[in-house]
Amino acid sequence: MENLWNISRFILEGATISVKIYAVTLLFSIPLGMLCAIGKLTPLKPLQWLLELYTWIFRGTPLLLQLFFSYYGLQILTGIELSKEMAAYITFVLNYAAYFTEIFRAGIQSIDKGQYEAAKALGMNYSQTMKRIVIPQAIKVILPPTGNEAVTLIKDTALVSAIALADILRNAKSVVSRTASVEGYFIAAILYLIMTFVIINIFKYIEKRFAYYN
Amino acid sequence: MEAIIKVENLHKYFHSLHVLKGISLEVSKGEIVSVIGPSGSGKSTLLRCLNHLEVADKGSISFEGQFIAKADASGKAVYKNNREVLAICSNLGMVFQNFNLFPHMSVLENIIEAPVMVKGKAKAEAVRIAEELLDKVGLLEKKDAYPNQLSGGQKQRVAIARALAMEPEIMLFDEPTSALDPELIGEVLQVIKKLADEKMTMIIVTHEMNFAREISDRIIFMDDGQVVVDGAPAAIFVNPDHPRIKTFLNKVL
Ligand SMILES: Nc1ncnc2c1ncn2[C@@H]1O[C@H](COP(=O)(O)OP(=O)(O)O)[C@@H](O)[C@H]1O
Ligand SMILES: [Mg+2]
Repeated sequence: MENLWNISRFILEGATISVKIYAVTLLFSIPLGMLCAIGKLTPLKPLQWLLELYTWIFRGTPLLLQLFFSYYGLQILTGIELSKEMAAYITFVLNYAAYFTEIFRAGIQSIDKGQYEAAKALGMNYSQTMKRIVIPQAIKVILPPTGNEAVTLIKDTALVSAIALADILRNAKSVVSRTASVEGYFIAAILYLIMTFVIINIFKYIEKRFAYYN
Repeated sequence: MEAIIKVENLHKYFHSLHVLKGISLEVSKGEIVSVIGPSGSGKSTLLRCLNHLEVADKGSISFEGQFIAKADASGKAVYKNNREVLAICSNLGMVFQNFNLFPHMSVLENIIEAPVMVKGKAKAEAVRIAEELLDKVGLLEKKDAYPNQLSGGQKQRVAIARALAMEPEIMLFDEPTSALDPELIGEVLQVIKKLADEKMTMIIVTHEMNFAREISDRIIFMDDGQVVVDGAPAAIFVNPDHPRIKTFLNKVL
């Protein structure tokens, strides 16, 4: 039987890809979601429909199916062959940006119409109003649901094991079948718990920073 | 006297609802005009058309001789481009019934935001002016407070200071005391009175009849989207010869 240290190291190696997917997804999906949310709120109908279609498809189908599609399906259909890692990045970014689009759109729309009117009456234009008045207030509304998504994402990274990326879950599984004992699962669980603990507290801290007004 | 605001034959529809039915009026420099009338008669809509919070359908609106919207041959209101309209309208200060302070900014930040962002004022200069204005409305000691830490009367006084910080040529008030507890109304009216003493041009939509009568050079009585009477306070309060005014005054006085 391998010792616990070796098992842990092997699973921890898997954490590299999990953390990479996590970081890349948040880094790109949050700005993309913000842009799409603003796009959905412009009066441009074709843009609205396009974004509506996008969020519907990505929120309306399983993330795992999307992952299979971009890794296997895309190649069969178009001949484009993405690496496993690239397929995971693209799928996760597009999927999470779709959720963030809806969260941010709802957050922006929750800001009272009177705020826009006050800004306009003071001579502020649309972009000044969004940047200085609406978005700063929307961020406070958006933080709790964004935090929830950020926690869900940690656990969703485990889906990449289904396209044979050697993440925490896949390495844990292979350790368990090799050693025929369950330590691997426990170590994986502890790693996920540590990560969620960190993320939850980061968001708690940010939310506290925004608690100075209500 | 020179007209600051001139409105001619203004019409406004909300879908099929005809809300303003041919309003014409002029306000001269230094004049104080109160607009009274039953709820739903179009007072807010009129005020909001003046500073482009609503878009009028027919008629003309001009500020110091510059048209914001000009009626074409068919009467349709044709607006200048957005940037020009915004620039002209920044000469009009607006005070809302619900204050609409920016909750994420301190009192001081609320007041300096537009002077710095829109007028490009240096921050130190904007702060100096803001502090003067806060002193004038009696709230200098609240400059670092956030709006949710203020009473309704204090919020409205900050909102007035915020509008004044843009150095408007005319102030529009849309029922500035209607959202306030009765004991807080006085402090806001006092600030408006101070502005009147300084000859600030003002259009005030209000249900405070005694205040309107005392402060105004002219009173406009609106009903059902029309100006029914436009005259000296005495014409309305002393000898209301129009039956609709009588009915209205009987209800509110
Ligand atoms: N945004 C709007 N959409 C539809 N109808 C409106 C809107 N704003 C006002 N109205 C209607 O226009 C009429 C005049 O409203 P308003 O100008 O607010 O009157 P007042 O300020 O005199 O009470 C009312 O019948 C009101 O319901
Ligand atoms: Mg009104």
